[in-house]
Amino acid sequence: MTTPGEEASVTSDFVRSYVITGGRSLPSSDDLALHTLVTLAPERTLPLGAGPEVRAIWDLCAGGYLSVAEVAGHLGLPVGVARLLLTDLFEQGHLLRRAEPPRAQNVDRATLEKVLNGLQSLIG
Amino acid sequence: MTSLIRDPLLWVLLVVLVAAVFAVMRARRTNLALRRTKNDLETGLGQAQGRIVQLQEHIASLNARHKDDLADVRADAESSTKAVLKSAMGTLQSLAEEQQLLLDGLLKKYGDDAEVLADLMSVDHTGSQFSRRAKGISVLCGGWLGRREGAATVYDVARSAQGRIKDFDRVSIHAQVSVSVSSKAVEPMAVVLAELLDNATTYSAPGTPVEVNIQAVPTGVCFIVDDAGLGMDQETKDRAAALLSADGPVDITGLGDPPHFGFAVCGMLAARYGFAVSVGSVSPYGGVRAVIRVPESLLSADGPAPAEPARESEGQQTAPQRLAPVPVGPSHVVGKTSGGLPKRRRRQGPIAVVPPPDPAPGIDEQTSESAGEVTASRLGAFARGTQLGRTTNTTEGPDHQ
Repeated sequence: MTTPGEEASVTSDFVRSYVITGGRSLPSSDDLALHTLVTLAPERTLPLGAGPEVRAIWDLCAGGYLSVAEVAGHLGLPVGVARLLLTDLFEQGHLLRRAEPPRAQNVDRATLEKVLNGLQSLIG
Repeated sequence: MTSLIRDPLLWVLLVVLVAAVFAVMRARRTNLALRRTKNDLETGLGQAQGRIVQLQEHIASLNARHKDDLADVRADAESSTKAVLKSAMGTLQSLAEEQQLLLDGLLKKYGDDAEVLADLMSVDHTGSQFSRRAKGISVLCGGWLGRREGAATVYDVARSAQGRIKDFDRVSIHAQVSVSVSSKAVEPMAVVLAELLDNATTYSAPGTPVEVNIQAVPTGVCFIVDDAGLGMDQETKDRAAALLSADGPVDITGLGDPPHFGFAVCGMLAARYGFAVSVGSVSPYGGVRAVIRVPESLLSADGPAPAEPARESEGQQTAPQRLAPVPVGPSHVVGKTSGGLPKRRRRQGPIAVVPPPDPAPGIDEQTSESAGEVTASRLGAFARGTQLGRTTNTTEGPDHQ
């Protein structure tokens, strides 16, 4: 008989992801895109019976805005699973979200040259 | 005298006398012969009886030898069957583990696609059930189960067990305690609980709930599995009790066809790792109540595995590692410039990571996790910083984005 000390180590995820979702269907990526930013709404208390993953999200998002992809990465969960948990919290009003910040507009070269000239005349 | 001689009666008497003498002598001879025969026969009988006893002894010894030989042959057959099965199951276990590792990667790789993810999850679910079967048979044949590297909370052990059965969505878990099971007992506990959950879901009507309650008791922790089935009859209870308390190898050929491995696996692992499993009582729903009693020696004082940290207990310690509170938002806007732009006051405090004033000794073990948190906080701070410089509206609720 093999003694426990001789056992090979098992490294696959102990709690499988379909158990974390409870077998529920997953939200599509339109609801919370990878780069959507989420944070904890102020004055919220952790829902009763929150699982370890929800508690981890709570702690992660308390610090400020994080993208959905980052939350999933920190939890070590597939994005879809993290998205489901985030959607739950969002629907319960615990989370705030914000779309990806718009890209900075390119300023035309003439304006930049004017600024440069202005600065040079100020300094030099 | 002459008249006497001539008397015929005398002659008759004489003849009779002679005949009588002959008869007596003959009878005496016959008697003697018969006695001799009787003695001979009695001696023969004694000998025969002695022979019978001898033969009976011989038969008994032959029977005993036959029985021993048969037992030896059976034991040989059983052990060679087990050896073959153990090796075959070992291969299947390795493959199942390999597949689960592969799926861990695939689930993360295709995590953004809800449809692919759902399909991968159903493959993963089938794989987990397959893995449990292989592990059960392997355990009965004296094989390995695989060892988890870290301790896991009782809640995670229950969830892991839940994931290994078919109707996992009927199971609900209520953990009244948040202790961890030590690493060596993590996998066996999960396998045993999975077998009990499999029984509970198989022998109760589809759609009825199966509950796992995890409670602290003076000697450790109990996992209580309640189903709403019909319960077990006395014969099944006796059989289960015998298998659950078996302290030694289990005869795998005696488990029926199709074989019922569940209780045998539970009994085997309970004996090997030192916890107790019982299925004798009735659940509040009228079905079976199965209880795993885990002694304190199998519970861990270490924190839970880093993947799912129990945050409440360490909240106070990690708090100083977080970012210093930074006032954000409209409070900085002190007015408007003549051009209509918001006029801001210089921020009160810099965004900075404040080191813990007095690092607790336990924090070192969680460096990786803390580093992750710090990174997360920094990113959060970065996001806050960018927020300050923008006029994008913060929205709440699902209505707008």
